[in-house]
Parts: sequence; structure tokens; C-alpha cells
Amino acid sequence: MMRVNLTLKPMGSWSIPIEAESIIPANFLSGTDLTVWRGNRELGLEEAFSVSVVGGADRAEDVEIVLAGKTARLKRVGEYMDAGKITVLGDIGMHCGNFMTGGTIEIQGNADGWLGREMGGGSIICRGNAADYCASGYRGGRKGMTGGRVEVYGRVGDFLAENLAGGTVIVHGDAGDMPGAEMRGGTLIIHGDCTRPAANMKDGACYVYGTARWMLPTFRNLGTVRHEGRTLIQFTGDVANRGKGNLFVGNYEYLD
Amino acid sequence: MTELLVKNAHVIDPLSGINGETMDIAIRDGKIVEEVSAAAEVIDARGMLTMPGGIDSHTHICGTKVNFGRYMSPEDMRAGRTPRRGPMHATSGYSVPTTYGNSYRYSVMGYTTLLEGAMAPLEARHTHEEFTYTPLQDTMANTLFDGNWSIMEAIRDGDVKRVAAIIAWTLSAVKGFGVKLTNPGGTEAWQWGKNVSCIRDPVPYFGVTPAEIIRSVIEANELLHLPHSVHLHCNNLGTPGNYTCTLGSLGLAPDLNPRRQTLYATHVQFHAYGGSGWKDFSSKSEPIANLVNMRPQVVIDMGQILFGRTTTMTADGPMEFNLYRLHHEKWSNHDVELETGSGIIPVIYRRKNLVNSVMWAIGLELALLTKSPWQCLLTTDNPNGAPFVRYPEIIGLLMSRRYRDAEFATIHPDTGSRVPLPAIDREMDWYEIAVMTRAGQARALGIQDLGKGHLAPGADADVAIYPIRIDEVDPSADYQKVIDGFSRTEYTIKRGRVVARRGECVVHGSNSTLWVRPKVSENYDMGKDPEFVEKFDRYYTVRMSNYPVQEQYLNRSRCIETETEL
Ligand SMILES: [Zn+2]
Repeated sequence: MMRVNLTLKPMGSWSIPIEAESIIPANFLSGTDLTVWRGNRELGLEEAFSVSVVGGADRAEDVEIVLAGKTARLKRVGEYMDAGKITVLGDIGMHCGNFMTGGTIEIQGNADGWLGREMGGGSIICRGNAADYCASGYRGGRKGMTGGRVEVYGRVGDFLAENLAGGTVIVHGDAGDMPGAEMRGGTLIIHGDCTRPAANMKDGACYVYGTARWMLPTFRNLGTVRHEGRTLIQFTGDVANRGKGNLFVGNYEYLD
Repeated sequence: MTELLVKNAHVIDPLSGINGETMDIAIRDGKIVEEVSAAAEVIDARGMLTMPGGIDSHTHICGTKVNFGRYMSPEDMRAGRTPRRGPMHATSGYSVPTTYGNSYRYSVMGYTTLLEGAMAPLEARHTHEEFTYTPLQDTMANTLFDGNWSIMEAIRDGDVKRVAAIIAWTLSAVKGFGVKLTNPGGTEAWQWGKNVSCIRDPVPYFGVTPAEIIRSVIEANELLHLPHSVHLHCNNLGTPGNYTCTLGSLGLAPDLNPRRQTLYATHVQFHAYGGSGWKDFSSKSEPIANLVNMRPQVVIDMGQILFGRTTTMTADGPMEFNLYRLHHEKWSNHDVELETGSGIIPVIYRRKNLVNSVMWAIGLELALLTKSPWQCLLTTDNPNGAPFVRYPEIIGLLMSRRYRDAEFATIHPDTGSRVPLPAIDREMDWYEIAVMTRAGQARALGIQDLGKGHLAPGADADVAIYPIRIDEVDPSADYQKVIDGFSRTEYTIKRGRVVARRGECVVHGSNSTLWVRPKVSENYDMGKDPEFVEKFDRYYTVRMSNYPVQEQYLNRSRCIETETEL
């Protein structure tokens, strides 16, 4: 096993984010001679972080990276990661886990926007809150997340799991507006409340255990069902998109 | 004075009657000349295929519709990204790239002149602004007259001279080059939620038929002595069985001009469909090509599709709505006041799809069955059939039966029973390709006298030098070498300067825009016609005085004045 400790150095009052797509377990198999970008400046890893490596590994599965310091300004950590583990002790910046296909990212604080965007596999756990576009697709794209699992213990912002095409997304708190918009597959579970779930959904399953506010009128009510000890109301749609998806809600309110 | 001498070039220049001679090309101050001084800079083009710069006679690269394609498809911008390099700006986009992306990629393929296929007059400024940022090609714009209220009224009144006068005023005002009819009458009908099914269907309210529009506008076009003929996108695009409508439309063209065709029908692949529905969809390239073979007054372009992702965009609003209902993806629809409209949707053409496979075959068949390469030009209706960067693949397919067979083996297995392609042996030669990609375009657009599409002394020094040894390459077998060679010039020369070399653009460049001002007598000046002015004030959202595009909008404005019969 190899453990890589990266502690972001304090850098005065600047607020420019650091683009850190090089921080994935596989890259550390051949050392720590990596770079990150701050604006248009390329920094050596050791310029930006205090780096310590404990142990060794031959495969990415055996590498764990632990990020500490004011990591909220780090973007794209874990992008294209395929194995191993990244633990973030605090908050993480935007686009964490973009396109990841394997391994685990655990964030003990909050995550900024686009957490796990277009991910294809692996698992992301966020102990705090996640901002907008968590587990979503990207501008204009037809498919968002296609596989893997994202679990957020706090709340999430708007457009959660937009364009979801596969995999599982679980939110223990509330979600914002338009979760599961344009869903075409996969499973989305929101334990709390949200507004306008599953708009224009084509396929897949969306569960809202709390209350769906501003419920869209373009879903057909199929009656109540039992699901894991809960009674939920099942809808199908989005009829406006010839959708065959399933939307299950604890309660719902139409906008009047 | 700047001088350049291209030595030992292996030249094919159909308009000058040159087919594979080794010769020197002398260039002074942007023009081809007889000879240059000993001080001239020298390029050694020994053994390299050298032709006039490529001309695209129907492409969508600039203007509101193209730009809407860009902003409704941000995902397209994630493809084809290149960083800033030397004088090259950063680019992005694949089927609807940034203007620089278009310009660099065309230049690297040896193209030096482009015709934007459809400019809505009201939105002409946008087109001209984007032309300015397409710096490595000279540009011109087909101007849309398919749903023009004043023209349809003049046609209803049987007044062809008035039709011509309106065209003259509008072309001068918007700095347009040619007359484009897109689904004539259909886009106007679409504003009433309808379409026209073929050329005998009257347009709602106006009561004129597409056939009357096509015929009257052809006559008007010739009264104005415009360089280009009427440029027609037939009614009923993309519908099974539409070939009869296409035959009817092409049959309307009289033979009025000894120097060029009187009707240019664009992206005919999309108009050569048999069958009564998608289930018995088939190719009708043969009757269309037969008609073209018998009518020298008609020139068509292929509108070839290639498999993969692209964006469709056209002024044919109702057709795009039908496509939207088929694909159920994102769609945009646009109305242009008293003039025209448009629609856009992204599409993916798939090999495993029977309809797409038949479409692929039809484009090739049209080119291979049309006997004279001057009558069927190479296009994809960029980006509708495929992005223009894939033209070299089409050249490969036209030159190699082996390549066609290899591709045919990968498409839908039922295609063979619906298309004549497998029985066609023809393989085009280098000369025919030169006609289909530059000389034919120059003649069809009527710009050879302006120094385009050939290399005779006096011509614009637009030259494409390809790293292909045509005496050594057998295109039938080595089609990959043909594709690679046409994808990247050794040198592209524009107005006497090397602008691209081995895939890199080496100068900022500065384009010219060609446009037409027909000279009409006072009586036919629509700017002073009370009825026309009143209609304008009443229905347009802009004032007539604000409508014309000022010449300052044009980079290196090149105005072509024509003597008319008005
Ligand atoms: Zn077109």
C-alpha cells in the first residue's frame, strides 16, 4: 500500500483556483514529479503542496491520496481516475471526479459544482453538501453519468443527475430544482424534498422520499406502491418527451 | 512588388485545358503572370499535384443559422479543439466550428474560395461579420428569396421585371452574390404551420406555386445577368418518393445562358429518394442523373452524407421539424419576417441504419452516374451531410471502386437491393476530381472571369499544392494515400502568399467578399417604389434606411456590377 499525503500550502490572499487533474492514484506510481496549474502558471506539485509518501505500490488500486488544507480551491481532482482512493479531509472544488471510471473518492466536507460529472464507474462519497450539477452531464451533451455510484449525505444544489444515463445517485438530504432532468437511465434516490423532479425524463427511475414540489403535470399517476418499507406514489413519464421513466414520490404538490 | 515562382509543378487546370503537365507558375502581386524576375521567391513543387485553389460552391460557414448551430450544441465545441499557435487563433468545434476553425481547416485542404449557401437578407450583417473572421478564403453569399412576400406578389401579378428589380435592390442592399431558393414557398407556408408537398401546390395566401416561383426567379436572374444561376434547394427535401418532385423542378429550367447552367440544384442526394415511406425507401439517383445528362442547363451538387455526427441546418424550416419528429432530439426553428426561416438539429448518420446507408449510396451514385463532372460538384452541403473536413474521403470513394466495396461491406445488409451502387464500376480520375472541386464550381458560380478556379495569366494566385505524385499513386488501390494527400496541402497559396504549409496556417490572412450590384434604370429602383417602400415600413421590424449592409462591413469589398435588361 502507498499513501500519499498532500497538504495544500497557504498561498496568501489569491483566490485563483488550482487545476489539479494530475492528482489521481495512477499518476503517483511513477513518483511525485507532477504539475498543477494556477491560472496560466504551471506549478510543480511540491510548490503547491507539502508532499509525503508512505509505503509503495505497483498498481493504482493500492494507492491512497489524502488531501488536506484549503482544498476547496482545487479543481478537477480525480479526473479520469480509474482505480485507488482519494480522501479529501475538507471541502473540494469543482469538477471533482470528472469522467472517473473506477476507484473511490471520499470527501469529508462539501463538494462544489459538477461533482462526478459524466462519470462512468467507481464511487464517490460526499459527507457534506454538494453544489449544483452533482453527478450530471455537461453542456449540450446527450448522456451524463453512465455508471458508478455517487452518495451525498447532506443536501445538493440544482440539476442533480441531469442527463443521468446509468449508475446510482443517492442524496440523503434535500435536492434543489430540476433533479434528474433529462434522465434516460440509472437510478436517482432523494431522501428529502426537491422541486420539479425528472423533467423531460426518458427512462430510468427517480425516487423522492420526501415531497416533490412544483410537480410537473406531464407525468401520469399510476397509484401507490410499496418500496423498501415506504409507501410511494408512482408516476410515469415524462409524457412530453414520450418518456417511459418511473418517478416515485412520497408526496407531491402541483404548482397552482 | 512581391514575386513567387512555383517550379516544376504537376498541374491540372481544367479551365485552361491543362491535364497533368509539369510547368512553372509565376506569381506577381497576387496574380498569375507569364513570368517573374530572377529575384522571385521559389517554391519547388517537383512531382506534386498542383491545382487552382479549391472552391466550395455550397457550404454553411457563416451567419445566424450557423451561429445558432454553435450555441445550441456546446457539446460540438468540445470536439476539434486546437490551441493558439503562431498566427493561428485557438479553435473549437467539429461540425460547426468557430469561424477560424472553418477557415484554417479549409485552407489546410487547399480551399481558397467559399460560397455561404444561405443568407437571410435581414440577417446579412452577421454573415458579413463572420466572413471577416474567415480570413483565408474569399467569400460570397447566396441570398434567400424563397418566401419573399414582395416577390411572390410580383409573381402573382405576372411581373417578372418587378421580380428582377426586387432581387436587384435586395442583393445590392445586403451585399449578396447569388439567388437562393430554399424549398420555394414551403418555408412561407410553414409560417402558417403548413408546407408545400411539391411544385404544383399553391403557397397559402399568395396563391403562387413553387413551379411559378422557380420559373419566374430564373427568368429574373437572367434579366439581371448575374454571374451565378438560380441556386435551388428543391421542395420536399428528405421525403421518400421526393425524386419525382425533383425531376419536375429540374425540368422547369430553360436553357437561357450559353456560358453556364440556368439552374444549380444543390445537395441533390437529399432529393433523390424513391419509395412510398421509410419501409420501401430506395435510391432514385438513376432517373435524376439521366435527366441531368440530357440537360446541360442543369448543374447539381452531391450533398454526400458520411457516417458520423454532424449538425443539419437549413432555411427549410418545415423539413427540420419533420427531422425533429424523427429523431426527437434538440431542435431550433426560426422565422425571418417577410423573407424566409430556418431550422437546425444535430444528427448522427449510422452505418447500421438502412435509410442512412441508402442516403450514403445515393450521393456517390449521383456523382458516378452524371457523365460530365462539370454537372455534378463535390459537396456535403457542409455540415448537413458531413463536416467539410471529410471531403478527402469522398474523393477517395469516387476514385476507388475497391474503397467503395470495402465501405459497402460495413453498411446495412439490405442496402444492396435498394441502390444501384454495387453495379457501378466508374472510377474518377484526377482531372475529374479537379473539375468537381474547383473548375466546375468556378464555371457554375460564374467567377472564372473574375480570376477564380484556374491558373491562366491574370487569374488570382490561389493555388493548392498537394503532396501527391499522381504518376506513382494508383488511386484505385492506394485510396488512403489519396485521402491523406487531399487532407493536407504541402502549400496553399492565397492571393500570391503561402497561407498554409503542411497543416499549419502561417499568416493571419485577409479575405475578400464578392457581391453583385445589378445596374437598373431609375424606374426599376425599388428603393423609390412607393408600394415596396410602404410594405417595408409597414411589416419589417427595421426601417428601410437601416436595412442595407454598409460597405464598411465587408472586408476587401469586391463589387461585381452587372448590365441588366431593366
Ligand atoms: Zn445548404
